[in-house]
Amino acid sequence: MLFRDLTNTICDLVLYKVIILGIFLEMENAIRLEDIRRSFKNHFWQKETEVLKGITLDIHPGEVFGFLGPNGAGKTTTIKIITGLIRPDSGRATIFGMAPSSLQARQRIGFLPESPYFYEHLTGFEFLKIHASLSNRINADQEINGLLERVGLDRARKVQLRSYSRGMLQRIGIAQALIGAPDLLILDEPLTGLDPIGRKEIKDLILEEKKKGTTIFFSSHILPDAEAVCDRVGIVIEGQIREVGKLSDLLKKGLPTDEISLEEWFVRHIQKPGIS
Amino acid sequence: MHRIKAIIENTFKEGLRQRILLLLIVFTLLLIVMSVFLEPFALGESPKIMRDLGLAAASLFGVLTTIIVGSALIHKDIEKRTLYTVLAKPVRRSEIVLGKFLGLGALVCLLVLAMLLIHQLVIFLYEGSFDFHLLIAFPFTILEVGVMLGILLLFSSFSSTTLTSIMGVIFFVIGHALPDLKLFAETTKAPALKHIAYAFYYVLPNLDNFNFRMDLAYKAPLPTDQLIFSICYGIMYTVFLLYVTTLIFERREFK
Ligand SMILES: Nc1ncnc2c1ncn2[C@@H]1O[C@H](COP(=O)(O)OP(=O)(O)O)[C@@H](O)[C@H]1O
Ligand SMILES: [Mg+2]
Repeated sequence: MLFRDLTNTICDLVLYKVIILGIFLEMENAIRLEDIRRSFKNHFWQKETEVLKGITLDIHPGEVFGFLGPNGAGKTTTIKIITGLIRPDSGRATIFGMAPSSLQARQRIGFLPESPYFYEHLTGFEFLKIHASLSNRINADQEINGLLERVGLDRARKVQLRSYSRGMLQRIGIAQALIGAPDLLILDEPLTGLDPIGRKEIKDLILEEKKKGTTIFFSSHILPDAEAVCDRVGIVIEGQIREVGKLSDLLKKGLPTDEISLEEWFVRHIQKPGIS
Repeated sequence: MHRIKAIIENTFKEGLRQRILLLLIVFTLLLIVMSVFLEPFALGESPKIMRDLGLAAASLFGVLTTIIVGSALIHKDIEKRTLYTVLAKPVRRSEIVLGKFLGLGALVCLLVLAMLLIHQLVIFLYEGSFDFHLLIAFPFTILEVGVMLGILLLFSSFSSTTLTSIMGVIFFVIGHALPDLKLFAETTKAPALKHIAYAFYYVLPNLDNFNFRMDLAYKAPLPTDQLIFSICYGIMYTVFLLYVTTLIFERREFK
């Protein structure tokens, strides 16, 4: 009797473990941020100001997540922590369960920095070639040509980046992020500073990647950017996440849908805090 | 390997496409050619000044190129954030440091060699024969460049680019003034000063260790033990600088 009980318990325990492990693997987040805090000082004699005040966020595999907030809210700082450019003072950031500093984690991501500035002496092709090598892609000429075509720069492949326009730079930056078909794309303000056609092109690229099942995390300070492409959005104000959810749900709470920037909306809501 | 290679190639190309490089090259060529015209004024020393000045010009060119082009590249990488996309790729920070070092090092190597060969050509045109003995200066100039590059990378790994270029110049000047410091240490009466002077003398990079130009110009027998010491000193100092740079750079944040 006792023996049967014991074996049953053991079997149950093993089963639970398997189930928990299964859930764990299944649900392994593309990005997980746990209570991230970070302070900066502008000058060494100044007091530190806390820029991120405990950011907690989970990005699920396959989703397109819009990280929205006004200028200075802490979006770029958060993204720098995710990509390992800076470290949090406290809290933990992981990419697919791994530390951002690990090579395995970075093998799986593509990153477009905010208002990127690239090696201007390189041609578009050379630029992608170098980033392909850095992503451990050798003999990647075919992939590079395909990417140049996808972002509409195949005719500028032999032009030095110094004579690229703002929109072209943004597109070559995205092409660089797409090398090696990463599982997770992290784009910091990919639509800022572009004309309507440029914005449309980049949005289409994001949607294409979404169809392929790529997880996409992008930031913006303009709400309508998010509408067409996002599964979920998070709204960050002054270093804190104020709202997370489906955009349609949040819109019911009175977010603006017209072409005004989130800025104005934020201004109103910062004045009467506690919208949730 | 392919990752370091990519960084080496990029650094090399980027350095080569800096406009300031042209200015440095023209300036050095002028110095080399000018040395010919100084020959008649050098009285008894006649065949020497052309040699000494030419070698000095090539060496100065190497160091100046290292400091100026090196600072320019580092400035772009850090202040203008060209490095961000690189850092997000699965590449080690040590690979970036090594790639920068080798890329710039290779560029300066080639250019210094070109200058020395032009110097040979000038000697040939003036005297009717080459003086290949002088090329022994080449590896030692490169060792000096290596140490300077190490210093630049070290400072860039934690400080601003302005400070990096300033420190580059300061270390270059101090590095060549260290024999004077030693002299001071030997002669000073104050024991405290003596110890401090000696400490600095032994810790700071002594760039004069790589200078055999006088011996070469005057065709004096080369001090073999000093040559060997110089090679070991240069390699060890550079490796040490790169190692410390990597340790710091791995911790560096990109705010
Ligand atoms: N390196 C830094 N040093 C000092 N303050 C910084 C630094 N980076 C960001 N900040 C401050 O942190 C706040 C958030 O900046 P950021 O993350 O760039 O915002 P966002 O990307 O949302 O516009 C701003 O107030 C900015 O001034
Ligand atoms: Mg930003």
